Amino acid sequence: MPKLIIDDITVEVAEGVTVLEAAQSVDIPIPHFCWHPALGKAGACRVCAVKLLDGPIKGIQMSCMLPAQDGMVVSTVDPEAVAMRQQVIEWLMINHPHDCPVCDEGGQCQLQDYTIACGHGLRRYDGKKRTHLNQDLGPNIEHEMNRCIQCYRCARFYQEFAGGTDFGVMGSASRVYFGRFEDGELQSPFSGNLVDICPTGVFTDKTARFRARYWDFDMAPSICPECSLGCNTTPVARYRELLKISARHNDAVNGWFICDRGRFADKKVNSFDRPRVPLVNGSSSGWGDAVDAVAKKAAEFAPGSIAVVASSRLANEGAALLPDLARALSGAKLCFFSNEVICRASITAASQITPHMAASLDDVASADCIVIYECDLRQEAPMMLLAVRQAWRKGAPVFLVGKGAPLEQAAAVSVEAVDLDIIVEAPIGIFDRPVIIFSTMRSSAAEIKNLMAAEAKFAPLFDGPNGMGMAKLAAANSTISLESAVKSGLIKGIITIECVIADELRGEIPIIAALDWQMNSSVKNAGVFLPTTAWVEMNGTFVNNEGRAQQFKKVMAPGIPVSATLESGHPPRIHSLDVPGGEPKPAWEVITEIMKRL
Amino acid sequence: MTIFTDIKAILLGLWTTWKHMLRRPVTIQYPEEKRQPSPRYRARIVLTRDPDGGERCVACYLCSAACPVDCISMQSGERENGRRFAVWFRINFSRCIFCGLCAEACPTLAIQMTPDYEICKRDIMDLLYEKEDLLIDGCGKDESYNFYQHAGIGVAQRRGEGAEEKAPVDVRGLVP
Ligand code: SF4
Ligand code: SF4
Ligand code: SF4
Ligand code: SF4
Repeated sequence: MPKLIIDDITVEVAEGVTVLEAAQSVDIPIPHFCWHPALGKAGACRVCAVKLLDGPIKGIQMSCMLPAQDGMVVSTVDPEAVAMRQQVIEWLMINHPHDCPVCDEGGQCQLQDYTIACGHGLRRYDGKKRTHLNQDLGPNIEHEMNRCIQCYRCARFYQEFAGGTDFGVMGSASRVYFGRFEDGELQSPFSGNLVDICPTGVFTDKTARFRARYWDFDMAPSICPECSLGCNTTPVARYRELLKISARHNDAVNGWFICDRGRFADKKVNSFDRPRVPLVNGSSSGWGDAVDAVAKKAAEFAPGSIAVVASSRLANEGAALLPDLARALSGAKLCFFSNEVICRASITAASQITPHMAASLDDVASADCIVIYECDLRQEAPMMLLAVRQAWRKGAPVFLVGKGAPLEQAAAVSVEAVDLDIIVEAPIGIFDRPVIIFSTMRSSAAEIKNLMAAEAKFAPLFDGPNGMGMAKLAAANSTISLESAVKSGLIKGIITIECVIADELRGEIPIIAALDWQMNSSVKNAGVFLPTTAWVEMNGTFVNNEGRAQQFKKVMAPGIPVSATLESGHPPRIHSLDVPGGEPKPAWEVITEIMKRL
Repeated sequence: MTIFTDIKAILLGLWTTWKHMLRRPVTIQYPEEKRQPSPRYRARIVLTRDPDGGERCVACYLCSAACPVDCISMQSGERENGRRFAVWFRINFSRCIFCGLCAEACPTLAIQMTPDYEICKRDIMDLLYEKEDLLIDGCGKDESYNFYQHAGIGVAQRRGEGAEEKAPVDVRGLVP
């Protein structure tokens, strides 16, 4: 283990760690653009210069390219190193436009920060600047090539890390250009990460273009609700409106990135037709009356004839109360899943898996063999596909088993996969760290039992962000699927909790009450509707596909976006303590209210 | 003798009083009489336009960030021609302390202080100035600055045609 001295601090790091990382490990920041924890070094930007005063190497060196060695004495504050960094920044800024005020990166821009940090405050070069033509990269990403500082992060991420083929670097010398061969939407399902990874404002989120500045953002650590992987995110809101979602770093789960589905998902939270007030028989009412109405209606049903139906959108806090709610409703049937096959498959996967057997995304990325069994990761768990690519880059073979696992998913991340018909053809036994990925929505309980007999780690996929949590709760309580509850003929009324029920399945059975934050058929047909908060408007917990309970925090208070309340062009000129549309409450709170009146 | 120093002190004091009784008074009979403050006086704030008549403010939020009393709020947006602009812009003059930090922070010279110090209303809500109350028709104190001409991106002119810009690069060219 090399031991070195950085700015008079002795640091001991593992073999192969760079001087830059060694300095970071003791909180000595060194400016850098091209180096990125997930992408490693490129030595392209020259801004991480330090001076080595003593040891095996001496003089000015690039700290990101230099592996730490025993006996090195490094100075980040030596006048020569400081001058070097300052001058490098000055070169990088020579062609940079003068447009921070109209750049969405402004305020959260690494180039701004390091320009100030390196002490380049005044422009001396008064020649003309190089310019580029921009490209239309589709509806999600804005391109402004004049801002580029040639760090190559985008091309390295897009091609090497994500296996994209339609974006890269062109030209030579000062004409270097990062884009597509021609205009068009970026094809990689991970293209949105360009927004996070570019240290300046070449790529910005078009869906939140010109909306707010970093210092005004309402933000909190959150979890992506779009699939069961539970990628860590930071949603951004302003003036009661969800503006955008960016990736949050978590090495065990999503690393530094998220997929485009999670990032650019429809912002239903802001939706104009989102139901925001309690409704009794279609007309708005106060909370008290609405909850009373639920209790009164429920009392009209015979014991055991009500079904309480939830979906894996529901956070654990609400879900954990449902067994009590069912008891309070004199023995209502508890349905955590609608479909019988998915219900059994989910419960089987959740109860068979142990923490030791569950593969995190990090485990997948470091596996030496990957089996994707009868599922399409593009649909069910995009970030899993990125993890599979990382394993493949390190030499792991990828087997796609069954007709339900199309080859196109491997092509989306440029992975050469082997297509197999049945699982026994995959030589799992000869590998040390194999991972089998399967979906509880595509495989039956029997199949899953069979699969999980193998000597491997498993990455089950569920049908929603809290799929594993619901399956665990379903296994621990007496629950049935809605499908079999309806078939039994006993169900005469339904209460839905953040859940949509197919009309064919429900038939003539009335919905007594619906708790939700989205407009859907359950809400439309419900006798009583109670508005709940969306995940960005509350604190809660989702259990992801590997059984990892992750908290998400309240980003914004519920309310109609200010932009929808403008009067003659500006926000209303009245004072009020009530937020318009601020009625929704977290599901667990609403469930508690109902239980209190039963 | 203390009696003599006391008399001397009284006479000196009275002398000063009499002297000022005979001078022209410094008091101005406001509001009948008004004083013209110097142009750099810091009072009512305006939003100015660039020489071409376009709104200078690009809703960059720097003034609202600089304001120590948080009395500026706005919403930025994009016009069809690509210009960033303030959809709404509000200054609460009942809170403003006329420190001028907003004008100092403004990168486009849009927000400027004027010498109009007569901001007095019967209803406090009338001190809430909206964009239409703030935006004036002229350039204010700077007759020439046009942010977009120097911004270095192709807004308000074609790409590469602004001041300090070269024509766009031909990426596919082979010449070194
Ligand atoms: S576009 Fe951004 S990430 Fe790519 S090279 Fe330029 S500055 Fe770096
Ligand atoms: S992989 Fe799933 S959880 Fe992760 S960002 Fe994409 S949709 Fe969200
Ligand atoms: S003058 Fe000072 S207090 Fe008034 S708006 Fe400007 S920054 Fe705020
Ligand atoms: S600082 Fe200037 S350009 Fe920016 S929002 Fe304020 S007035 Fe507009």
